[in-house]
Amino acid sequence: MSGEDPIREEEHEYRFGRPEEGTGLAIQGEDGKFLDPVTGHEAAIRYCNVHKAFGDFKILRGLNLVIPRGQISIIIGRSGTGKSVTLKHIMGLLRPDRGQIMLGDQDLTAMSDRELRHVRTRFGVVFQNAALFDSMTVLENVAFPLREHTRMRNKEIKAKASHLLDQVGLGGTEDKVPSELSGGMRKRVGLARALVRDPEFILYDEPTTGLDPILAAAMDKLIADTQAARPEITSIVISHDMHAVLHIADKVAMLVDGIVLHEGRPEYFRDSKDPLIRQFIAGSLDGPMSV
Amino acid sequence: MTRIVSWFGRLLLDPIEEIGRASKIFFGGLANIFLPPFRFRLIIQQLEFIGVQSLPIIMLTSVFTGAVFTLQLDRALSMFGAQAMVGGTVGVALCRELGPTLTGLLVAGRAGSAMAAEIASMRVSEQIDALDVMAVDPINYLVKPRLIASIISVPVLTAIYDAMGMGGSYVVGVLWNGIAEPEFMVRLQEWVDWDDIWSGLLKGLAFGAIIGTVACYKGFYTTGGARGVGLATTSTVVVSSVAILVVNFFIAAALP
Repeated sequence: MSGEDPIREEEHEYRFGRPEEGTGLAIQGEDGKFLDPVTGHEAAIRYCNVHKAFGDFKILRGLNLVIPRGQISIIIGRSGTGKSVTLKHIMGLLRPDRGQIMLGDQDLTAMSDRELRHVRTRFGVVFQNAALFDSMTVLENVAFPLREHTRMRNKEIKAKASHLLDQVGLGGTEDKVPSELSGGMRKRVGLARALVRDPEFILYDEPTTGLDPILAAAMDKLIADTQAARPEITSIVISHDMHAVLHIADKVAMLVDGIVLHEGRPEYFRDSKDPLIRQFIAGSLDGPMSV
Repeated sequence: MTRIVSWFGRLLLDPIEEIGRASKIFFGGLANIFLPPFRFRLIIQQLEFIGVQSLPIIMLTSVFTGAVFTLQLDRALSMFGAQAMVGGTVGVALCRELGPTLTGLLVAGRAGSAMAAEIASMRVSEQIDALDVMAVDPINYLVKPRLIASIISVPVLTAIYDAMGMGGSYVVGVLWNGIAEPEFMVRLQEWVDWDDIWSGLLKGLAFGAIIGTVACYKGFYTTGGARGVGLATTSTVVVSSVAILVVNFFIAAALP
């Protein structure tokens, strides 16, 4: 193994400082339930010492993270720090090399593929590039999960899909195909598709990447509005978008080299004097993180 | 030293991994035939794409294959005054070898490459991940319809290839080169028996399975964006074609 590459070496794991004691760990309430220490809400998902490597390249190095129920959690960090890998572990698209991922009291890592498939019906995912089926129309895309998993009548499916398209501001685009839509519109269709089965969890993989600042702000508002309209949903957002972090998040976790180095309310990040956080928020080249 | 051991390890493990993945696609696809949802609509769509849309190229090439084979045989056999054997020889060659093999190669080039490109682009644009997270089994949704349609289409196309090839042979042999029709037809009927036809159709079945499996496998495990899609498409045609020719030999050797 190369000795020059600091990311690959265990002794350089904490090259930006060690996390505070208890960072990423749940606290146990009086009734025995696990709670998120930042928001005080019940823990919906817990990552417990999760490790993941691709070949020699270690991505997650003992990740601890609590996702509070009914809140918007935003995971931030530089590209390549393991944000998307973190998200893919919840969906069961990746399995950890070590550690546990607890969904309530169910251990996702101990589940068979079939059990995982069943668990996935509780999730809605908005992909970075929307991942719409390009052979289908917008309406067919949104209706797809209902056609696959419910016995609803065609008329009801179409009505629900159209209603959701209206909610994301895309009424009238039902018969278009994804290639006729802009990037922002595709992401909104992706959101409508993610919401169509009334999921418990909604995962956003960089929902504002590639959008102009106004569209990005509109997407942030849509995420916040979606959460406000469905308070029972737990939202998890992977993002570089500091506007979203400071305006719509209930909890923010900063991923550095495969662990949560900082977590807190948005105010914690806004007011922090930590040079790493300041550099990330300012988007500055000067600071502990080099390009 | 570690690198050398690692390199040898990869050399050994990579092919095993590839065989494992391809087996997962093939057996997973077959097992899903009996598992709901049955995807009748998607199977029909794939039958239309792989089978019906391949008809023009199959018909065109089969006529000319039969025609040119007859032309050359006629030149050779006329030296011995054995022109009457042309019909029977062309019939056996078409049914046993040329029909299934050329049909397989043509379908691999036309439909196999397109299937691989479609699935590969779905992989790189996260559409297969989207299926997974929507709790839709991609093997059931993507692989099963294509595998079934390939396995059904290629033998049917082979039969059409055989028939059209004989038509081409008749035109060149009887109408153009003047072989007596009764001689041509009698030899054809005498020499081509059901074993010849069935062995060709069996080969078509095997080639259909090869094309469906290779195309889905190459598409399904694509990495690396647009370049990966291109590589998946190319290697589908290369691997399918080589596999068809190799498997053709072993089936021919095994059958009476």
